[in-house]
Amino acid sequence: MLSALVLALLVVLFGGLFVVQLSRRLLLVGRAKGTLRTDHVPARVSRFLREVVFQSEVIAGKPAVGLAHALVFWGFVAFVGYSGCQFLKGLGVVDLTGTSSFHYYALALAPFALGVLGGIIFLVIRRVVFRPEALGPLSGESVLIGVFIATLMITFLLDFRLTEGPAAAVNWWLHLIIILVFLALIPGSKHFHLVLSPATVFLKSPVLGEVRNLDFEKEEVGLETLADLEKKQVLDAFTCVECGRCQMNCPAYATGKRLNPKKMILQNEDALLIGRMDAKLVEVYDPGVLWQCTTCGACEQQCPVGVEHLPLILGARRGLVSNGEAPDALGAMYNHLERRGNIWGLTSDVRQKFVTSAGLETFDPERHEYLMWLGCAGSYEADFQKALRSLFEILRARQVTFGVLAKERCTGDLAKRTGNEYLFQELATANIADFQAAGVKKILTACPHCLKTLSEDYKPFGFDVEVQHSVVLVSKIAGDLRLPGAEAVALHDPCYLARYAGHTKEPRDLLARAGAVVKEPERSGDNPFCCGAGGGLLFEEHEEGTRISQRRFEQLQATGAGTIVTACPFCSIMLKGAQASANAITQVVDLMTFVDGRIKSAAAAAPPPGARPASLQPVP
Amino acid sequence: MKIAVCIKQVPARDWQPRVNESRTWVRDEDAAFEMNEPDAYALEEGLRLKGRHGGEVVVCSAGPSRVSHVIREALARGADRAIHVESDGAASADAFEVAGALAEAMSGESFDLVLTGLQSDDQGFAQTGVVLAERLGVPHATIIMEVKVDGGALRVKRELEGGWFQWVAMPLPALLTIQSGINQLRYATLKGIMAAKKKDIRKVAASGAHRSRQRIVNLYAPKKTKQTQLIGGTPAEAARELVKRLRDEARAID
Repeated sequence: MLSALVLALLVVLFGGLFVVQLSRRLLLVGRAKGTLRTDHVPARVSRFLREVVFQSEVIAGKPAVGLAHALVFWGFVAFVGYSGCQFLKGLGVVDLTGTSSFHYYALALAPFALGVLGGIIFLVIRRVVFRPEALGPLSGESVLIGVFIATLMITFLLDFRLTEGPAAAVNWWLHLIIILVFLALIPGSKHFHLVLSPATVFLKSPVLGEVRNLDFEKEEVGLETLADLEKKQVLDAFTCVECGRCQMNCPAYATGKRLNPKKMILQNEDALLIGRMDAKLVEVYDPGVLWQCTTCGACEQQCPVGVEHLPLILGARRGLVSNGEAPDALGAMYNHLERRGNIWGLTSDVRQKFVTSAGLETFDPERHEYLMWLGCAGSYEADFQKALRSLFEILRARQVTFGVLAKERCTGDLAKRTGNEYLFQELATANIADFQAAGVKKILTACPHCLKTLSEDYKPFGFDVEVQHSVVLVSKIAGDLRLPGAEAVALHDPCYLARYAGHTKEPRDLLARAGAVVKEPERSGDNPFCCGAGGGLLFEEHEEGTRISQRRFEQLQATGAGTIVTACPFCSIMLKGAQASANAITQVVDLMTFVDGRIKSAAAAAPPPGARPASLQPVP
Repeated sequence: MKIAVCIKQVPARDWQPRVNESRTWVRDEDAAFEMNEPDAYALEEGLRLKGRHGGEVVVCSAGPSRVSHVIREALARGADRAIHVESDGAASADAFEVAGALAEAMSGESFDLVLTGLQSDDQGFAQTGVVLAERLGVPHATIIMEVKVDGGALRVKRELEGGWFQWVAMPLPALLTIQSGINQLRYATLKGIMAAKKKDIRKVAASGAHRSRQRIVNLYAPKKTKQTQLIGGTPAEAARELVKRLRDEARAID
């Protein structure tokens, strides 16, 4: 009776501490702006199952650590019923622990307990002995909680042996008190993710880097102060588990810049708890970090607890741009977009010359299957136009029909990604009107940034047509392409093609058919290291630390391949710049130029007289 | 300081102009329009002067109702209010007519400083500012690269031919015609665009008292021609002659 009373007091005390801290944070979430979105339920449920139940992100990012975490997590879930029954017993409500089903349950828990114990010992050793940089300075609390978890498992296992006497009672009490103390520590520590991350993962947008359009009718101008943070962003701040995977994968951080996505999330948390609601966001973070993000999306993609960094960074950029506080280089670029509709401020006759010389027809839905979208680079950048000429040859040889718009303006990718929402919406609505007037059903583009903007960012305007990257289409239609050879090439996956759109197979497939052997650099596939161009950094003259493009070029060079292949005009510009600065002999070419070159050299090498090479035969 | 900036709406550079049937102007019914580029720099200079010395910036534009688009744009960039001289003819009128209409609308305001672009991208007379100064009875200086306000007076840097410049001291009030590219233009911000909706545009009907003195009799696009000249003499003489002609006739070298 007395023990039940003591336990009840402890439950009220520690449970109360938990509830007070929890409600303080949930109130901050509740008071924040915006709504928590729960659309696209199937996609969200699927992510929840993968990332929470099966711990896919945790394991994929770091397999050993991830597996250890998964063992601890599954153990925790398995133990809920056990701990519940012990509390019910201790409080004198009902004792189920004597039932035979509880006995089998406890037996079934034994392997889980061993898994948790093994996992937590591994994790504590990693944290204390190896101290990975991403985890930050050693936190005593983390070690304490590690010891708690281990003790919980040991007391559980001892319970099988200690059935009676004072030792059994001490063991039982220790188990329950640790649970209660742990509970009270949860909300104030990174272990709060135990409570919040299932919700955060479910609430994360199914589309990487989705940044909601501003509603000008509601006079929204972006995130200016802490009070402007939206509900999900406040939830993110409290959910962050401080694992540092965003930091580890951030190209800006890796090259010695001040930007650290993890630090930003934690600075939000600190500022929210202090209650600095009127603090300007730009002052909450380290100076200049908002303009160091390439929007490569690695942080958001790698986060195991559903934090969305891009809406925060881009939202805070909007808050600055809406007040005229964009960096000078971007201000000039906005003027170019306003006056000339392209990022370089060139006049449309430059584009017209290319359209004429490349023999491009004006799009006609009766005669053309695809609208070929050139984009700023395709319209104005001579180097990328070479890649497009190669693409056009390949498409024409396969009898793919395509035409271009008489006039084009930028999709608004850079405006969106740098926070000039007004300009983005102006460009988007004008482009959509042009597409609709021209009767466009399918769009083909060679620019991964145009791909992301046209396919994802135009959806909120009700524009939803098939948009394809040229690499995807060519790999589809070049089924019979088989060229001999074994030229080693290093493939640089563009962030907006591989990470955002998930096209990692197609470029590799196409290179293999063209007789190349792909050498994978460090960070390839769906988690590439950025070239440094995205998010407006194409226009950045002075990068803090090492140039991102230089670092990426070195990674690609380290494969030993003499040729670097990529499929994005901006990656090309950055890598060619790095190549020129390094005075390296490694050449950088677009995938289309490479494939077209291989087709031509194969045709020149051994054509039987009068016959066309098989690779150029139109597909029936 | 009370600053007026005169802006003109001109056909966008990207638009392919076509001559109308009477060959007196372009068929601009389907044209895209934009702010005359030198005027955009004049506006920016006005906004910067206001930033340094306080006061207000008033944009003035003469033209048909479509001109309100560039007026809104100027207000979004930071101008405080606007005067729209409504006149369908102003779009293709000469400098005398436009300057007269502007002067009428601006006369009651007693501006300290009036800025215009050096010239318009369509007609290119480079006269509207000069005639306007005369109409307003204030001194003017043209092709201005830099403006310094010192007490009640101005020091301005003018661009001369051949890479020369001159600094001119002049009293206020005054009118300056601004050269393109002298500053970095600001972009239209979301807050500016929202604020522009609430700013005052005073509409004034042109009295029609100032009729164009010039009449366009034939408007045409220059014909592309190729000319070949053979320079004789010894190679050394021919080279000397070639250099001379490249410098004096083609002005391709200094």
